[in-house]
Amino acid sequence: MFTNFFYQIKEVGIPVSPTSFLMLQKALSMGLIQTLDDFYTAGRSILIKSEKYFDIYDQVFAHHFEGADMPDPKGLEMDSMMETLLNEWLKDPKALADALGVDESVISKLSPEELIEYFKQRLADQTERHDGGNRWIGTGGTSPVGHSGYHPGGMRVGGVSNNKSAVKVAMERRYRDYSRSGPLTHAMMGEAIKRLRHMKPSGPKDHLNIDETITKTIKNGGEIELIFDRSFKDRLKVILAIDNGGWSMDPFIPVVQTLFDYARAQFKDLKTFFFHNTIYDNLWEDASRFRKPFKVKDFVRLDPQTRFIVVGDASMAPYELISTDGSIDISYRTGRPSIEQLRFIRDTFEKTIWLNPLPEHTWHYTQTIHTIRSIFPMFELSLDGLENGISHLMAKG
Amino acid sequence: MSQQFTGSTRYILDEELAKIVNISMILEMPLLLKGEPGTGKTMLAHAIANSLNMALIVLNVKSSMKLVDALYQYDTLTRLNDSRFGDSGRDVSVIENYIKMGKIGQAFSSDTRCVLLIDEIDKADTDFQDDMLDVLDQMEFDIIEIDKTIKAKHRPVIIITSNAKKDLSDPFLGRCNFHHIAFPDPKMMQKIIHAHFPDIQRDLMENAIGTFFKLRELNDIEKKPATRELINWIRALQADPDFKPKKLVKGEVPYPGILFKKSPDYSRAVNHTRRRLY
Repeated sequence: MFTNFFYQIKEVGIPVSPTSFLMLQKALSMGLIQTLDDFYTAGRSILIKSEKYFDIYDQVFAHHFEGADMPDPKGLEMDSMMETLLNEWLKDPKALADALGVDESVISKLSPEELIEYFKQRLADQTERHDGGNRWIGTGGTSPVGHSGYHPGGMRVGGVSNNKSAVKVAMERRYRDYSRSGPLTHAMMGEAIKRLRHMKPSGPKDHLNIDETITKTIKNGGEIELIFDRSFKDRLKVILAIDNGGWSMDPFIPVVQTLFDYARAQFKDLKTFFFHNTIYDNLWEDASRFRKPFKVKDFVRLDPQTRFIVVGDASMAPYELISTDGSIDISYRTGRPSIEQLRFIRDTFEKTIWLNPLPEHTWHYTQTIHTIRSIFPMFELSLDGLENGISHLMAKG
Repeated sequence: MSQQFTGSTRYILDEELAKIVNISMILEMPLLLKGEPGTGKTMLAHAIANSLNMALIVLNVKSSMKLVDALYQYDTLTRLNDSRFGDSGRDVSVIENYIKMGKIGQAFSSDTRCVLLIDEIDKADTDFQDDMLDVLDQMEFDIIEIDKTIKAKHRPVIIITSNAKKDLSDPFLGRCNFHHIAFPDPKMMQKIIHAHFPDIQRDLMENAIGTFFKLRELNDIEKKPATRELINWIRALQADPDFKPKKLVKGEVPYPGILFKKSPDYSRAVNHTRRRLY
């Protein structure tokens, strides 16, 4: 039973094992699962082993049992899409009215909040009509032993009233914050900091400590005992270069800065620089990019072991990157094209990465991302991306 | 099936979790609980033991712990002493007299079914975790010194908690049921507070919870205050004769040190409340 459901879970990339699926079958055959709600909870606790996947489980569940949209494996968020669409349409009420199939005058009477509500309503209608027909027949309600009804003497069942169906619960997507993909948010700060903890050098214990070995051997009465130490390594130096120019970067700057500030103690040195869109002759130490320039040339004087991390969306007009006087800032004329400067930085430091808050599957739409990716290894600014990026920075050789 | 877990007087159980606990008990699988500190992971085991009238055995995992410590201990020192002074009445030649059961051993040899809480499993290294799950899977272990196998008389109800400092290994996860306890929402929190302070004034409770959730939403807080902090804070507010619940509405936050325990968090919170006051 529910083999399809199992494979759907597997397909969207949640690690599930056949053993746990068999365990779920056992639970089913023992009559532990009476309703769809039970199936939702039991299925989740038996199959899904990390809260990171709860959100995507919710989506698959909603799809399988209610025909809701399958989670796009590439993770394009419905809400963010809706928001951009709305923002776009708000500028053009006529187009919006056409799209929703109502008169423009109706739209103009609605406040933005009402409009969003209305829009959501329409979208919801859409899902309901667009029913794929793979519903499970006989959902819920038939169980003779309702959980909420059972009160043994002297005991209190607290908790939330459960009027919602499992599908609705699943569609609420309560676990979105724990999901691994999608841009970094404050809610994930703790997890993200843990990823950064990997930025500590730790070699194998392969240095022979001679003094200690002699002392131990004497104590053992001549029986040789070798004492090894971890080979000594210095803590890391990190340079963080943040694109704080365009509005597109705004939501991510405080997150990134807080992230690295909290991790500051584990670095030997953390420098933060700012730039707009891409790097020309200078980076700035102040966020207003005005008072304290730092010449890119001067990077050669820094320790080449420094880990250089760029945070930016890498999206701009191609000429900003390639032409000699590329900067969109008129007052700022440069000698070398930005692309040269980027290559220079890459060659100066042994380990560099570029963290991009844009979702990875949108990268191939932007030409400059392509170009920059060919220079810097680029990672998504998400928990997964951060993890991969850090392991790239810490890789040997 | 005869025993179902429905919650206890001090512990407010949400329905979803109750289902999961019951299913795990019947399937005889350990239940792994993750969640922020203060979401009541440890309290759950206490509540289960309490309401089902079972004994609770707690194994507090430490980073230096070896599996054998959790199973049994061979007390060689006492044996040596006994053999030198011979005044204890124990027979020195019987090694079994010097075997002491560890927490898992106690749970296995208990005459009635009990609840075994393995607290903060993530502190130990992965080998410990995997080996322990082997033991819990097979419900038996060997005492090497006396060549004897200890089998569980009754399968204990096993609750494992993790603060997720490290990711647990896949084979480990494969053998557990899993639940992540989300932080309670304000409504749930009211119930929890009510369970702890049955005769708390209504306005104090509402204002305190309101302020608490506002403070939790502050940006850039590393360690957010949890339920435990809120309960202690309310206790402090109640103990203060000068305190009026109205002060909270105005944005005053007395005793911030109870809620925020890291100094950057503390100063951030204090700054924030000051800004709101003036």
